[in-house]
Amino acid sequence: MYEIRFHGRGGQGAVMAAQALAEAAVLEGYFAQAFPYFGAERRGAPVRAFARIDKEKIRVKSQVYEPDILVVLDESLLEIDPVGEGLKPSGKAVINTTKMPEEIDLGVEVECGTVDATGIALESIKAPIVNTAILGALARVFDVISLESILNAIMNRFGEKLGHQSGVMNAEAARIAYLRTKIGRCSARRQLAKTKVWLPAWYEIPPGNALPQHAIEGVLIGPGSMVQNYTGTWRTQTPHYTKDKCIRCLRCWFSCPEGCIERMEDDYERWDYRYCKGCGICAQVCPVNAIEMIRGVHEWQ
Amino acid sequence: MAMKVISADHAVAYGAKLSRVEVVPAFPITPQTLIVELLAELINDGELDAHFMPVESEHSAMSAAIGASAAGARTFTATSSQGLALMHEMLYAVPQNRLPIVMANVNRSLGAASGIWVEYNDSMPERESGWLQVYIEDNQEALDMIIQAYRIAEDRNVMLPIMVCLDGFVLSHTVERVDLPDQNLVDSFLPKFRPLHVLDPDEPVTMNPIAPPEYAMEMRYQLDRAIEGAKSVINAVDHEYSSLTSRSYGGLIDSYHLEDAEIALLTLGTVTSTARAVVDYLRAKGKKAGLIKLRFIRPFPAEELKLFVRDLKALGVFDRSLSFNGYGPVFTEVRNALYQEGIPITNHIAGLGGRDVSFKEALEMFQVIEKNAGNEKGMVCYWHGLRGGS
Ligand code: SF4
Ligand code: SF4
Repeated sequence: MYEIRFHGRGGQGAVMAAQALAEAAVLEGYFAQAFPYFGAERRGAPVRAFARIDKEKIRVKSQVYEPDILVVLDESLLEIDPVGEGLKPSGKAVINTTKMPEEIDLGVEVECGTVDATGIALESIKAPIVNTAILGALARVFDVISLESILNAIMNRFGEKLGHQSGVMNAEAARIAYLRTKIGRCSARRQLAKTKVWLPAWYEIPPGNALPQHAIEGVLIGPGSMVQNYTGTWRTQTPHYTKDKCIRCLRCWFSCPEGCIERMEDDYERWDYRYCKGCGICAQVCPVNAIEMIRGVHEWQ
Repeated sequence: MAMKVISADHAVAYGAKLSRVEVVPAFPITPQTLIVELLAELINDGELDAHFMPVESEHSAMSAAIGASAAGARTFTATSSQGLALMHEMLYAVPQNRLPIVMANVNRSLGAASGIWVEYNDSMPERESGWLQVYIEDNQEALDMIIQAYRIAEDRNVMLPIMVCLDGFVLSHTVERVDLPDQNLVDSFLPKFRPLHVLDPDEPVTMNPIAPPEYAMEMRYQLDRAIEGAKSVINAVDHEYSSLTSRSYGGLIDSYHLEDAEIALLTLGTVTSTARAVVDYLRAKGKKAGLIKLRFIRPFPAEELKLFVRDLKALGVFDRSLSFNGYGPVFTEVRNALYQEGIPITNHIAGLGGRDVSFKEALEMFQVIEKNAGNEKGMVCYWHGLRGGS
């Protein structure tokens, strides 16, 4: 049995990728299952999806803790999540990144394929939805499932849901990714990142199911909390502010849905990039184009 | 101390008044109506300084009660049958949030077929909800239990809601002599409500946040332990109350002529009184019969029950509701608790849908129990008063 674990951000299509992989496996005559795990989070927060592939009917229904294949749809997760946890030394990894496999440090040294799935997705489907591109890369690394079956599964799932044209575009993303994937070995120099989660015993939980305004536990370091989840790490473009152009109208400050633009005492602005999700609203509302959206995750100031 | 001849519904209302409840959100439903009508009257006449909230349904009544209790008010409500069913969704929010709401539920069967008469199939399913549940035998106990309920519910080691269950019509609309304790005495017994957390705009808290699987299981276990922990408080409160009023109800569970008994029936609610009379009758004939009165089904007094049945040859369990195709719920609870005691237990289903449970029927229960003594394979479930036989 092969066990596959996908790490992505809400909205990147990790769940759909796992399902398409399962479908590809079935097309090849295997039994397969795919299922998601959602936290209490929203779009952009880390999500996991799982798939299993076997010659026999699969009975186990639990999550995957020791994957044979690890698929990371968002490079930024490497910094905040122990994505490599449990990955078998004989396993393989597929990472969405512009880096070479050797530059990736998973904490486990395995065969690794890297691909700029975000770039490919923006090129071929004009949106940073990377699941189909990453499936193409997966077909390169995981030789049990052929690219052809992956493409067929994508056509079935995406074509059915979003129309034939969308299926073609997504299959194309996978094909390009297959060709551009670089194969190598990742490194294991660092310790697996440890997430800071408050996991109390039952008698340590304050009774009454209420969180005081300044509660440290729960609000700040519990699962889904803001300290653990810098909601800015999933943006694919970053607002760049030119102070000289700014007329201090405060429209950006007023419009930002994340509240991550800080109004200074002199009414000029400052960005808290930890929580900027790159939606671009601030750039849209600025009457003097003092804000420009630049591709990639950046931090200025 | 004042003496009145009143219904159990009115006894409950006076109990709430003496407890100085502050908010009463309620929706009238037969046979609970007399409770909220009297409370509305007392509030209107300025005899009770409380806020009465007429709501458009029981779901809203419980929602409002949750809000009021969360804001730190001593909260009372009452319901019955379909009304309790409509509250079901909101009931679950109360125990986990540790809101010590006291609610009278006047037991009435849940349709279909529609009926307004007593049956416990409205409240029994809610023993899964985390509410404490006590069943009442007479009007005096109804009044005393409301006062005790607040003391138990608001104990810092408990902080749990209590449902006080009383038989529709058999209690709710039946008048009996009831002694009303002095307000001063109740005040000394029942201190001011101190909530765990207060909903206050000046000092905001997040109440009822989402609990992912990482926390939910620990929270459930914590609640389960809190319910278990309520046992000692219930017994202590009964003890203290009896020292003030000379009225003791035994706390979790009570007995009658059990010391040397060979057979016993376990009852709850008003049938307990009828069964007492049967025990007297059997004792006069030289039979060693006894009675176990179950008061609380949550927390369930499993350990006490084991001690109670130690010397019995057979036990019967009365049920006024049915888990269809699965015996009566009280029987299931009792048999679970006594699994290893090796005592033959029979289930006695009677009085469903408000069918009267006569002295003769209660006597018949004891006769079946006696026949079953020493017979492990005896009939497990016996319906009394059923035409066509069971
Ligand atoms: S792109 Fe602009 S509006 Fe959007 S989150 Fe970032 S700062 Fe706020
Ligand atoms: S919208 Fe543009 S001009 Fe207005 S405050 Fe923001 S950056 Fe400055």
